[in-house]
Amino acid sequence: MSNDPLLRGARGERHLLLGNEAIVRGALEAGVHMVSCYPGTPSSEVADTFLRLGGEGRYRLEYSINEKVALEVAAGGALGGAMSLVSMKHVGLNVAADPLFTSAYIGLPGGLVVLSADDPGCHSSQNEQDNRYYARFASLPCFEPVSAQEAKEMTREAFRLARELQQPVMLRTTTRVSHMRGPVDFDDLPAPQPKLEFKRDFGRFVPVPAVALRRHAVLDANMEKARQIAESSRFNTEKEPVGGQTRLGVIASGVARNYLADALASGGWEERVRVLELGMTWPLPADLISAFLQKCDGVLVLEEGADLLEQSVRALAQKRGLAVRIEGKDATLTGRGEYSTTLALRRLAAWLDCPCPAKPARPVDTNLPGRPPNLCPGCSHRAVYYAARQVFGDDAVYSSDIGCYTLGLLPPLRTADFLVCMGSSISAGSGFARASDKPVVGFIGDSTFFHSGMTGLANAVFNHHNLLLVILDNGTTAMTGHQPNPGMVQQMLGDMSAHMDMEAVVRGLGVTQCARVRAFNLKAVTKALEEMKDKAGVRVIIAEEPCALYARRRLRKAQPQVAQVAQQGAEALRCLERLACPAFYRQGDKLAVDETLCSGCMVCLQIAPTAFKAKKR
Amino acid sequence: MKANDTQKRLRIYFTGVGGQGTLTATTLLARTALEAGLEVVAGEVHGMAQRGGVVESVLLLGGWRSPKLDFGEADVLLGFEPLETLRGLPYLRHGGAVFSSSDPLPPVSVSLGQASYPDMARIEEQTRMVAGQCRFIPCRELGLQAGSAQSGNTVLLSAVCASGVLPFGVDALEAAIKKYLPAKLQESNLKALELGRDVLG
Repeated sequence: MSNDPLLRGARGERHLLLGNEAIVRGALEAGVHMVSCYPGTPSSEVADTFLRLGGEGRYRLEYSINEKVALEVAAGGALGGAMSLVSMKHVGLNVAADPLFTSAYIGLPGGLVVLSADDPGCHSSQNEQDNRYYARFASLPCFEPVSAQEAKEMTREAFRLARELQQPVMLRTTTRVSHMRGPVDFDDLPAPQPKLEFKRDFGRFVPVPAVALRRHAVLDANMEKARQIAESSRFNTEKEPVGGQTRLGVIASGVARNYLADALASGGWEERVRVLELGMTWPLPADLISAFLQKCDGVLVLEEGADLLEQSVRALAQKRGLAVRIEGKDATLTGRGEYSTTLALRRLAAWLDCPCPAKPARPVDTNLPGRPPNLCPGCSHRAVYYAARQVFGDDAVYSSDIGCYTLGLLPPLRTADFLVCMGSSISAGSGFARASDKPVVGFIGDSTFFHSGMTGLANAVFNHHNLLLVILDNGTTAMTGHQPNPGMVQQMLGDMSAHMDMEAVVRGLGVTQCARVRAFNLKAVTKALEEMKDKAGVRVIIAEEPCALYARRRLRKAQPQVAQVAQQGAEALRCLERLACPAFYRQGDKLAVDETLCSGCMVCLQIAPTAFKAKKR
Repeated sequence: MKANDTQKRLRIYFTGVGGQGTLTATTLLARTALEAGLEVVAGEVHGMAQRGGVVESVLLLGGWRSPKLDFGEADVLLGFEPLETLRGLPYLRHGGAVFSSSDPLPPVSVSLGQASYPDMARIEEQTRMVAGQCRFIPCRELGLQAGSAQSGNTVLLSAVCASGVLPFGVDALEAAIKKYLPAKLQESNLKALELGRDVLG
């Protein structure tokens, strides 16, 4: 039985929670039954927390193989009467967009909340798309918490609304909200909500064209109900300054609400503007905003990301004939990157026409040695990349994919030439090879392969593509924190899910040229690469070795030995330059191995047998 | 913001290297502040940045809401690695306080001999130009004395608590260590707490 306050905490208790943990508590307080996800920063801790808690029969959790599947499973659960949560990062919702739109048409009686964790500033992502567009595009009511407390409250409210309207509801966070910590006041933890009995209704749940058209009208009607709820939602609040004389107003949504509050406090401007903070941001509370606009001559809209709210407010003012100057995005507050208190201060100072208390930033010392993220010491990807570079050098083009192994782009390994999205190593690699004379070597991890590599591989076989694919199978979903995937060994998956044999899947998809090697066996990896190099068609090498962090922390693998420099000289330095293991360090023209970092993979010994030797730890 | 609020409102910027345990240290200090009855918001970034890269986090006390700091906003900079202290220096407001480890963890480019690690004297000099007060502490060394390199983080936290720049002292940190750290880490961290308190002299 878990002693975790998320499951044990009673009404009135206060705990310091990560934003993502607060979402879990909110879902539990709402009475959630089913949780599905595909991990992705910054969303991952939501499902990982559900996993850690175990649930004690309250809910069923699954790590689905991709976001589309996760959303379909959750939608199916909600059709079957369960209150369901599906969690993913922003780009994951692109994968899940197909079921998202139709779910909103048919409506889901049990209630579905879709968590989209966006990543402005691209902390761990390939783009900074603003998923508030999806709420508008697919017609989903949308909540945007900005504190841990709100994350819990809004999650609960999102579930309540999802069940009341039988419409999927979006909970949209951003990196800073998912990964903030703050105190959260707990409410009661009731038993899970009763599941609803499924009632067959062909005229609703099977959206053939005639049904879909009718359901579109129902969707619009439900969104009108949601708008009325937004008009009086406790998450949409207006703050009138003492005296209430000012005709200047700021409308803020998302994390910009925090920057606004801190900027107004820093500038001492709290009495100079009236503020409308929107937490339930879609459907737009048009009457609430109109009433606010009527009290203003000038309005500034603050929102990180796209200018969605700004354009809506402009349109609203035009529609209702309100003569108010509306400002928003400009050269200071763009649609790119993250906002900050200082940015908000600058913008407000210019808008209020008063001096800015923020001093100009001091020059930054750009001459410092960088510290980019790197493959860990003992990472099996490094061994495979080293071998690939020895065999192919710059002759091949390297089609990369999404995971830790994208870090292969750094010198000296330089084994990533292009990347589009999850699974694209195979399909974009196939297309590239068709257009170019150069051989293409693709790299994909095990979780990403099961996510969306399988379809690309089937297509490559079906369409006679010419590609060498290396599956970097480290037995876990490493980048996001070692979540389960079908490649994980059964012993670690336990009763929760079933292991799938990677080679059987590859061969089952029609690949006949397939080799399986241990990633740390440099000779075997090199031999497999060389053999496959001279062949044509779809070729797959599965390079297996557990992620070094996972092996140490979860598999509890002993590290009985470390590498040591046996002989200084050109061979040792060449290994340093080509392998660039972070456990190596240079002292003058001598090389040494940091024993606290070395994991004992012994790849360096295989590259430079006279320069290194193994030593018992 | 009222004048008396100004004194309580603090923004602390933490910077270090992935794997050092700076996020654990941030959470410990956040819990300490919460137990001391202060308003607390902490901010972190997980994911790709943690793979040996720079790890930044923030702790806001007394009512600040924004879990991300811009240049010039931090009242206190806690550097768990000296190069990262130097890199993070623009976040400090003029006259703010810096507490930093003086034990370098060279980045890969330095280990490979492609770049050179800045001189400690240069790091300290540049820090003094901006900071109202600054202390460089051999945290890793003292941490190892206490029982592990990781408890060097507690040395740094203890030093900043002892300095008086925070609205609570070492006693509050000690109580939080006893309440929130697992039993097997208590002894080394309590020893580190003493070393950190005494290091300011």
